[in-house]
Amino acid sequence: MTAIQFEKVYFSYESGDERGNDVFDAQTSFALNGVNFSVEEGEFVAVLGHNGSGKSTLARLTNGLLSPKEGKITVFDLDTSNDKNLFDIRRQVGIVFQNPDNQMVASIVEDDVAFGPENVGLPRKEIGERIEFALSAVGMEEFRKATPNRLSGGQKQRIAIAGVLALKPRVMILDEATAMLDPKGRKEVMDVVLRLNKEENITVILITHFPEEAMLADRAVVMSKGQIVMEGKPAEILSRGDELKKYALTAPRSVRICRALKEGGLPIEDDTAADGIAAQICASIAPCKPQTQGAGTDITAEEAAEKDGVGDVVCENLSYAYNAKSPFATHALKGVDLEINAGEFFGILGHTGSGKSTFVQHLNALIKTPTAEKKYKPKKLKKGAPLPPKTVLTVNGFDLTDKTTDFKALRSKVGMVFQYPEYQLFAETVFDDVAFGLKNFRDGMTEEEVKTAVREAIETVGLDYATVKKASPFELSGGQKRRVAIAGVIVTKPEILILDEPAAGLDPLGKEEIMALLHKIHADWCKTVIIVSHDMDEIAENCTRAAIFSEGKVAAVDAPRKLFSDVEKMYSLGLDVPFTAQIADKMRKNGVEIDCDYTVEDFTEKTLFLAKMQGACTRLTAEGGQNDA
Amino acid sequence: MRDVAFGQYYPSNSFVHKCSPLIKIVFLIVYIVAIFLSKNFYALGACASVFALIAIFAGVPLKSLLRSVRAVLFLLIFMALLNLFLYKGDTVWWEWKFIKITKEAVYYTIFLAARLFLLVLGSSLLTLTTTPVSLADGLEALLSPLKLLFVPVHELALIISIALRFIPILTDETGRIMNAQKARGADFESGGLVKRVKAILPILIPLLISAFRRADELGDAMDARCYSGSKVRTKYKKLTFSWRDLIAFIVGGGLLAGVIVLRIYTTAVL
Repeated sequence: MTAIQFEKVYFSYESGDERGNDVFDAQTSFALNGVNFSVEEGEFVAVLGHNGSGKSTLARLTNGLLSPKEGKITVFDLDTSNDKNLFDIRRQVGIVFQNPDNQMVASIVEDDVAFGPENVGLPRKEIGERIEFALSAVGMEEFRKATPNRLSGGQKQRIAIAGVLALKPRVMILDEATAMLDPKGRKEVMDVVLRLNKEENITVILITHFPEEAMLADRAVVMSKGQIVMEGKPAEILSRGDELKKYALTAPRSVRICRALKEGGLPIEDDTAADGIAAQICASIAPCKPQTQGAGTDITAEEAAEKDGVGDVVCENLSYAYNAKSPFATHALKGVDLEINAGEFFGILGHTGSGKSTFVQHLNALIKTPTAEKKYKPKKLKKGAPLPPKTVLTVNGFDLTDKTTDFKALRSKVGMVFQYPEYQLFAETVFDDVAFGLKNFRDGMTEEEVKTAVREAIETVGLDYATVKKASPFELSGGQKRRVAIAGVIVTKPEILILDEPAAGLDPLGKEEIMALLHKIHADWCKTVIIVSHDMDEIAENCTRAAIFSEGKVAAVDAPRKLFSDVEKMYSLGLDVPFTAQIADKMRKNGVEIDCDYTVEDFTEKTLFLAKMQGACTRLTAEGGQNDA
Repeated sequence: MRDVAFGQYYPSNSFVHKCSPLIKIVFLIVYIVAIFLSKNFYALGACASVFALIAIFAGVPLKSLLRSVRAVLFLLIFMALLNLFLYKGDTVWWEWKFIKITKEAVYYTIFLAARLFLLVLGSSLLTLTTTPVSLADGLEALLSPLKLLFVPVHELALIISIALRFIPILTDETGRIMNAQKARGADFESGGLVKRVKAILPILIPLLISAFRRADELGDAMDARCYSGSKVRTKYKKLTFSWRDLIAFIVGGGLLAGVIVLRIYTTAVL
């Protein structure tokens, strides 16, 4: 049976509609531009598209949150433009939205899950059964009485799914429901969704910009500028790299690896799983030791280190507890030792609650060590008592354990970009917002100097100064807002720039652009760049070195190529490894050892090199044999 | 920030914690009425001993109880001093120029202070033993008769529930925005009034925008989950009553009766 049917659907946001700015590009007048689309019951369809392609509009149209300007949408033969049908349609079609926090109404899990069934007037007893069913379907039974504030992003989103499931819908739409989650949370949610589709036979429409997730679907649809531009089997569609690029999408890493290896001459078929790809590679490459070639690249970081203190971080024995003197004290840091050298592009990894955020907030004294507090007085030690270990925290030459340090000067030299920095914009114009930090730090600057500095910063982040300076920051697109926020931090020319999840929530192209921007800033603006990230591929592809935080300590510091070689250790620390490292690990278990930096390019290059070497070796030995004879 | 329990709830599994919030609210009202009906130290003593009994059963540390008094300490002292000097009495104990302190004034001041003290302690015991969420449930149950007068109790309850849900989220967010602006050199601690008010704008504006965005998204999510007002709506959570509530009921009734008896058969403090 056809679950959802779109017939020549046109939709546009009213000008001045606030949401319009977020959802679609201001240049396109239609958010949906003649869409024909249908979904069969029980199907799992992925809808891909860059930000503003109209895919979220599609979701809102489907359950009548919006109604089409032209054309017809039916859900199980009910017309969405008829208000009388809305209640029935919404019982059949549930939506899970992007931000888990903004879709919960109650402070206790079971109360929130009960919200839907309460709304449709189910009797009490049945609501209880629905709660039980929904929570067990998402594997959250034990959190029935918990409060959502204490849950992780992935858990919260599973509760949101349960809230939708409690209405027993036949269709579930996930509107970028994984975009704000870390990889672990993403996997949790995707596992649940897959199971619901297979076991409960719920039709799933997965709106996403992660191509890896789309690979799990029965069918994929690509949207661009309000139209459906590609449609078919995910594996087939996602292997058309050039076409995807045209629509601002990227192929999943698995596809890119398989394609690159195939082009290089290895007989490899497309596969999505690391196991499968590794098995195929091992089938054509004989066991061997790693080649030493290319191993010299990771000492550059050490060599580049300058010892004048500018741009580096020295941290010894740093501990910190929240609510230190109350019974609720949580020890976020338990003796951190870490050195970050000037000139590095440094990564900080760790699962939620590992202390990484607390650590970076120390670096520009947003959190101060006790000895740096104004009220601090050194305690008199009892005679003969052992001296407590000394805490050292020096950032860019400033001693952060000393209360006489000029913290304002420090903050102008150590820039900090928080997660989702666009939510901190406040000024009337982009110019004022970017100038905010500058004016705070440098009192004596002339108008002209401010103008020059702001202009430089805005241009560095890749925006056109003339067009954006007078614009309101709230009129810009999501990606542009983030750039403005970054400009507002780098405008003081910090020596060290720290970014917490700089690419969070962006689509793949947006991610690439932001990382490219950071490299540009690293090259000619800030000496040292430190990023906090959940995304292992991001670390592997960008960082010179990375530190892993675990339980308030640094569990390992090394170049990504070394860190990700020890797959077992990474897993034991609750972390994932890049896709390439998963393949390499499987290959290693089959005796094929490879030494690469775990970017897709380097991995495929080294693998092909190995293949060619072996090819060459076999030929050589064969020739040698002939000589002997 | 997230790890600090919202409000001053002290988690425990005591007798008092397990009582129904409705009963606890009613009990607090009875207790307050009893305090106001007390006209001498005997009656107040009865209230105090009932309070002490409950506090012991609740197992709430004395420190957290006293913390709530600290908040109104200034008011307490101010009122006490005012009474001490202004109350007109006959038996003069101490005199200096125009200031006169009488025996009656001292007694009355102590009586007033004790009253206020017990009031504050009682209400803080309620918030210490009841989560904001169940407090809201209790309040809804208490107000539900007003439905007959077309007061939208259900909607009010939902509003309270959503507010409670978002307070910790917005508190978190405020902290994040403050940190971000501090990192950009904002200074919230120094300067005159005008400067400080101006310094708040970079926090307030993003916070408001975020609150509206969240409200917008929440509205959509509620719509998508079939929210349509309260016409057909049922309610899952039902307050249940147990033997504990019966005991609380008896104790409360006893206290009230006792105080009334004392009011009739004993003389007032003055």
